[in-house]
Amino acid sequence: MDNKTQRKWNRVAKNFDFMTGIGPDKRWGTAKQALFSHMQGNILFLALGTGLDIDFFPKNQTITAIDISPKMVALAQPRVAAYEGEIEAKVMDVHDLPYSPNTFDQVYTSCTFCSVPKPVEGLQKLYEVLKPGGGLYMFEHTGSHYFPFNMMMHLMTPISSQVGPSMNRATTENVRRAGFQITKVIHHYLDVVKSIHAEVPSNI
Amino acid sequence: MEKRPYFIFGDLLSNVFLGSLIGLICTWVFDPGWGMFSAMFIGMLLGMGISLVLGVLLFFRYFGAMEVMIPTMLTGMLVGMFVAMGSSMASLSATTGVKIGALTGLIVMIVTYATNHLLTKDIQEF
Repeated sequence: MDNKTQRKWNRVAKNFDFMTGIGPDKRWGTAKQALFSHMQGNILFLALGTGLDIDFFPKNQTITAIDISPKMVALAQPRVAAYEGEIEAKVMDVHDLPYSPNTFDQVYTSCTFCSVPKPVEGLQKLYEVLKPGGGLYMFEHTGSHYFPFNMMMHLMTPISSQVGPSMNRATTENVRRAGFQITKVIHHYLDVVKSIHAEVPSNI
Repeated sequence: MEKRPYFIFGDLLSNVFLGSLIGLICTWVFDPGWGMFSAMFIGMLLGMGISLVLGVLLFFRYFGAMEVMIPTMLTGMLVGMFVAMGSSMASLSATTGVKIGALTGLIVMIVTYATNHLLTKDIQEF
């Protein structure tokens, strides 16, 4: 377990809904709902946080939802209990997933890989636990390829990463590096906020 | 492109307000005693720092994360540079600083909307 990352998100947990529950949630709600509408089969969801994303899940799914922060998972309990389906919420680090290879049909992430300390290794773990042909569906913010946005996001990252996420992650490229085949990228804001659809090749 | 009036208002408010405030502060901080390049550089950092902190504290909760932070930091950077440089060459009035800040915030918002339209119009399929 990455204790430094866990402490950081435990500190943030108390005010997380206050900061993100109106603006960011309304801005991104439609895009998240569209991404999560693909849910089917045995699903792993990262990162649960306080459970704000549960509102955008389709009903009647079976979901294992993990987060590195026990305080976040505790705050998510009322939303987990209210979901019309089955959510098993667990405290877990993506680097140390205890699942056997080929366990899940799909993995979903929501603003997760801006904070995972070793993103390629984390994505490789997801690759392992997905079945051949399994889908990776990500809603993420990343760095930009375009000036001056890229410069500003590089400048912001040393500050933002102390209290929350990094702003300059190359998540799309990291998904490829981890071995996934990317099938679709939808940009929601500049080339920064995006949905990434990828899959484990079915012929492995 | 964002078409919801609530968020268009939020984007306009955050950029124009922070641009005006940073313009005002830069007219107080910088004067012709400053070297032009040092004023421009420090003004840029000051503008970005103020917009980052106030953008998060005042606007993030209500109007979004990246959609607030990216354009307001660009506004802060440009206003800091322009007004600090101007004040170091010839003392600018507070009113002029506020006007430059507000106009820069408006232009940054329009340019960001146009760039966003270009970058989000196509879905990349592989």
